[in-house]
Amino acid sequence: MAEAAKTNVDDAVLVEQCRRGDSGAMERLILKYQNRIYSVILKMCANPDDAAELTQETFVKIIENIDRFGGRSGFYTWAFRIAVNLTLNHCQRSVRAGHWSLDAEDDEHNRQAKSQLKEFLSDDSSPDPAAVAQSKELCGIVAKALMKLDDSQRAVVILRDVEGMNYAEIANVLNAELGTVKSRLSRARSNLKQILETMLE
Amino acid sequence: MKQENRNIEELLNGYIDDELTDRHRAEVERMISTDSQIARRLRQLHKCKMLVGALPHAEAPTETLELVKASLQRQVLVGRQRSPLDERQGARHLLLRRVVSVAAMIGLVAVLGAVVYTILAPPTGTEMTTMVQGPSEGQEDVAKVDAPGKAIPAFYGRLQLKTASLVAVDAKINRAIENSGLAGSVGLASEANRIVYTLTCSRESLRALLTDLEGVWNRFDAASLFVETDRFGEPVVVDAVTAGQIGEIVNSESAEARIGAAKDFAVSNKIAGLLPGKQVLTALGDRIGDSITIPRPVLTAAEKPTKKPPAKPEDKQQVHLTIVLTGGK
Repeated sequence: MAEAAKTNVDDAVLVEQCRRGDSGAMERLILKYQNRIYSVILKMCANPDDAAELTQETFVKIIENIDRFGGRSGFYTWAFRIAVNLTLNHCQRSVRAGHWSLDAEDDEHNRQAKSQLKEFLSDDSSPDPAAVAQSKELCGIVAKALMKLDDSQRAVVILRDVEGMNYAEIANVLNAELGTVKSRLSRARSNLKQILETMLE
Repeated sequence: MKQENRNIEELLNGYIDDELTDRHRAEVERMISTDSQIARRLRQLHKCKMLVGALPHAEAPTETLELVKASLQRQVLVGRQRSPLDERQGARHLLLRRVVSVAAMIGLVAVLGAVVYTILAPPTGTEMTTMVQGPSEGQEDVAKVDAPGKAIPAFYGRLQLKTASLVAVDAKINRAIENSGLAGSVGLASEANRIVYTLTCSRESLRALLTDLEGVWNRFDAASLFVETDRFGEPVVVDAVTAGQIGEIVNSESAEARIGAAKDFAVSNKIAGLLPGKQVLTALGDRIGDSITIPRPVLTAAEKPTKKPPAKPEDKQQVHLTIVLTGGK
């Protein structure tokens, strides 16, 4: 909690310095958040090039609008709101353009990874996520399962389980009601399990 | 039933996310201890959460910072975005430019306002006095305005007289000058058919001189008074002027009144000259002023002096009159 408060104070100072035209503060803000924002965007759009471009666009927008940041929420929340909105818009455009081709790639995953994941999801196994993280193929399957979720459900799951935001922060980032976040997260996890089971059949 | 399941799902998700109140948490724990289906569902949700959370964190490309800076720089170049760096460096310069611009604008507006006011505003009585009544060029020895408490401007003028009896009239004028005590203050210049008397005297002395000259006035074939002004560089000319009119003009209370009186007499004398039966009017002599009266301009109420006019300043050397006497018909 004290660490979080310190981070927020640091952010406020950096933002203020950035507003006064301090390029050093601007660079520190970018370096501080670029990996987290890139990671979330990549998991939402599943394309490294698009994720890099969207990350860049996010920071440009942040710098452009730094004077409009009112400080009602934390800078961290505000920055993620920009990133998620840009990514969701990008995903919608990509879907309309028919860029997704996940089903075609499903066959390329080897049977061993699928078997390992099936074992993990079985009722009797004890959960060991570290084993999943070590397998590139398994991570690929989970990532593709995420991409089959609805955009808004995927965003909620990633913000909660990857970025570790609480429900209130997620509601702030998505500009949604708390109840909406709860129900959307519940549906997202339920759908994700079904998708994974389907992929492993 | 479906809604109930949905509520249970949300409770279970809240449980694994540690977002429940103590009461709800206790309720969930009671349910999973009594219902194996719910306990199994909780484990599945927990595994899903762990799977997503176990996805490795990706690192942004190393060139992200440079790309962002380049992008911002590009936007500055195309004018979409002001550079935060330039903003600080140029802030003072910009502020200075703004202050200078505002000052210039205020100055311009003030000058324009003054010009417009000068053009549109009607001249007040005081201004008119100043414009009309000031002494002619090079004469700085008297006050230029006729404000209360200030000196009445000196009179500058020229009286042109024409007579068929030059010698006789000259003798009369010289006698009148001596009688008025002005012998020492009159300059005299004489040519073949022209004698010039240059008077610098007080109003009182002039009044005495004019009284003496009234008797000889009927021997003038023409008498014109030129009252000097610097308004248009031209004097007000009163033709067929009488000694009484001259006295009245010179002794006017103010510069404005002096010019007004001169103009009035100029007009009335002109009209009198145009009337049929001029001989009759000529015979009336000095009484023409009493017969024909033209109202003089009066000050408006707002401009009328509310205080009693101050006493006249000392009446010395306030009249500068040049009398030009020309002989012949």
